[in-house]
Amino acid sequence: MAKVEPGMEAMVDVYIFETTGLLEQLDEILLRTEKANEFTEDDINEIFRIMHTVKGSSAMMGFDNLQQLAHKGEDMFFIIREAPEKMTDVGFVYDLVFQMSDLFKAEIDMIQNNDDYEPTDFSEMIARLEKGAKMLKGELEDDGGAAAAAPAAADNAAQAADAPADSTTVRVFFEDGCKMENIRAFMLINNVKESVDEVEIVGYVPEDIESNQDSANVIIDNGFLLTFRAPDPKTVFSAIENSLNVQSYEVVDNPTPAADTAEPAADSAAASAPAAETVSAAPAAAAAASPAAAPAAVPAEKPKPAPEQKAPAAASSGSGKQSLISVNLQKLDQLHDIVGEIITTESMVISNPELEGLRLESFTKSARELRKLTADLQDTVMSIRMVPLTGPFQKMNRIVRDMKVKLGKDVELVIEGDTTEVDKSIVDNLNDPLMHLVRNAVDHGIENSPEERIARGKPGKGTVKLSAMSSSGEVVITISDDGQGIDTEKVIQKAERNGLLTKPISEYSEREIQNMILLPGFSTNDVVTEYSGRGVGMDVVKSNLSKMGGSLTVESKKGQGTAFIIKIPLTLAIVDGMEIMVGDAEFTVPISVIKESFIVKHDQIINDTKRGEMIMIRGVCYPMLRLNEKFGLPSAVNDIEDGIVLLIESENRGICLFADKLIGEQQVVVKPFPKYLSQYDIKGQGLSGCTIMGDGSISLIIDVNRLIESH
Amino acid sequence: MDIKELFAKQEEIKRKNLNSKNEKESEITKVMTFYIGDQVYGIEIPYVIEIIGVPHITVVPGIPYYIKGIINVRSKVVPVIDMRARFGKEEKEYNERTNTIIIEESGVSVGVIVDEVIGVIPVYQKYIANSPDRIGVNDNKFIKYLLEMQDGIKLVLDVSKLIFDGDMFMVDE
Repeated sequence: MAKVEPGMEAMVDVYIFETTGLLEQLDEILLRTEKANEFTEDDINEIFRIMHTVKGSSAMMGFDNLQQLAHKGEDMFFIIREAPEKMTDVGFVYDLVFQMSDLFKAEIDMIQNNDDYEPTDFSEMIARLEKGAKMLKGELEDDGGAAAAAPAAADNAAQAADAPADSTTVRVFFEDGCKMENIRAFMLINNVKESVDEVEIVGYVPEDIESNQDSANVIIDNGFLLTFRAPDPKTVFSAIENSLNVQSYEVVDNPTPAADTAEPAADSAAASAPAAETVSAAPAAAAAASPAAAPAAVPAEKPKPAPEQKAPAAASSGSGKQSLISVNLQKLDQLHDIVGEIITTESMVISNPELEGLRLESFTKSARELRKLTADLQDTVMSIRMVPLTGPFQKMNRIVRDMKVKLGKDVELVIEGDTTEVDKSIVDNLNDPLMHLVRNAVDHGIENSPEERIARGKPGKGTVKLSAMSSSGEVVITISDDGQGIDTEKVIQKAERNGLLTKPISEYSEREIQNMILLPGFSTNDVVTEYSGRGVGMDVVKSNLSKMGGSLTVESKKGQGTAFIIKIPLTLAIVDGMEIMVGDAEFTVPISVIKESFIVKHDQIINDTKRGEMIMIRGVCYPMLRLNEKFGLPSAVNDIEDGIVLLIESENRGICLFADKLIGEQQVVVKPFPKYLSQYDIKGQGLSGCTIMGDGSISLIIDVNRLIESH
Repeated sequence: MDIKELFAKQEEIKRKNLNSKNEKESEITKVMTFYIGDQVYGIEIPYVIEIIGVPHITVVPGIPYYIKGIINVRSKVVPVIDMRARFGKEEKEYNERTNTIIIEESGVSVGVIVDEVIGVIPVYQKYIANSPDRIGVNDNKFIKYLLEMQDGIKLVLDVSKLIFDGDMFMVDE
């Protein structure tokens, strides 16, 4: 993490968390409004709130570059607020704002991950934003009428700021929801007067803070403008910083943000506040532009009931937020461990051998109660780790949007079942695979032109569908498109060229060919695009997923579309397992891979030439793996008729496991092997981890894929 | 081992040491001593988390023979090393005196199985002899320093080498 001022380290985490959340919100609003092609006042208020909080907290953390960037973004929206329809009408605005948000995210990423973080210089982006703001203003001027007031007032305000050459104007924002902003402003002035010698308060806007309650709303919306003359403005700044409830402040007498100076000027004029010396020209502006200002005054007056408007918005978003707290994942894991410990201890107490043979009626009753409660506790703790897929799914909206613009394809992303919940650790690792598959669907899946689609009898607009559902301990995520499908001819030719074939072409089934695109070093796209086609894609996706215990398969019909199906376990932390004994060692086999368990007779066993045992089940021959031999465990059960055989299947490969006996089904909490053992290849032996059983003993969890591979 | 017994032993040792010499020096650290065979070894107290008997050990495949497997120490899975096997001594069956000392270094926990825990002794500079070469045993590389005391030589183990030097030992073999 980046080095910050001492004492602020703890705040950085909070800052990163908050800002990331806000930027996601911003993206969400932008995407939604762009799609709906309308931009409401609520949206703009929300964006203001976001930009403002980001600006404020960046300034507080001392990330000046981010603060400036946010400030310029805010400026842009000041102009848009005057004419919200420009947001949707003027094409470059969205691109510009998205770029800004991307830069922001990248920077925050750097702050989070780099110890020797150096602030990036955003002057280029800032210049672009300024240019964008100018162009927008130009548009507005062209519009004439109402909008003319803003630049007019802007000039005047700039003039006003210029007029008392040695004075400084600052715009102060108070903390959100601190109430009675007008009184706070009054106190601020007093504070400045008291703490700084030789300061001369030239004026402030709104002026009627002492008498007019409504001025509080003006301050909420536009900040409190304070103009002063002081030998050393810095002393005043520090006085402002040290005042109560001040969230942020900025110096506004530089010419660039003239637009936003204009805004409150117009506002204040409209709000019938006879502007003070600060904006001495403002009454003149109001007078001069009065016919033009009048329409401007209408939207300007609107913000007055803003508190009411904001209130429901704040309430809705507020209620959503306040019911959530962020918790360090480590603490959750700790809680998880402790609950496991409690359950172990509980069963040690209840089934304590010393209690045997005693008549303990009330004890048994209380014990039952306790068991129920601990089970509830365990369920609750487990559910804490579950989070909906909404986050990673919504991110795909943005990716599709960007690709649409870049590739010039008309594609719509449909999202279904994004409320499906999976373990937090899985959600964190899903982003990359999803992004890859969605990009792939848009880039390779959907036809290059609408004409091509229409010729095939499909609607001109392509659809990419992202859906999730949970079924028996697994989450199934499907990324499907209604595009051209996989060209099996091309795939097999390419596979042949790349030397990926292991048997004659004629022996490959359609399904096998389709799944070839998941092999390492395969990419059918002849042209490498920005988004996909580097030939590292699919196999990386597949291996990332299998690291999480998931799988990836393809289903495709030429001309109709392709579907990628991801299956991942609901949680990595808990496995529904079948407990088996081998010697005096206990093993857990994930239930999801067990097809059946049965006892075999000698005559069912087929011995192959290499002394290996095999068994025929419904016409399919499966190899037999004796676990005691595999793991070198002494076992009393050597006769195959005395033990039990489990048929397990994973990724279309099957194997029979021979164990001493079955103990039963149990939900187990997966624990990794101790760190000390990581130098040895235990996983290669076909074990994925271990778990602590109710009686305190340890059971080893079998990794079926590895076991089959190593056999 | 019973804690009371342990303390009693510790007190006894302390008394012995005090009686023999008038200690004025300040103690450097404390060492938990134990037997492996006839030799007394020690582990510095800051590394010691707890002492337990020998719980049920779950055998794990694919690890060296001297790592006996994993145990459950209050819901933590900890690997256990048999020190006799580690030092190439003849292994013997565990009995009621056999102890597992759980040690931790840099977040890595390991249990070491020793024949018998003796107690805790204070260490003074004058006991320390920095010449492990003097003793012709093949476990020198795990020895941090020797303590030459009236009741015999004690070998203090280097815990970080013991935990993080596993591979080298395997190469030696």
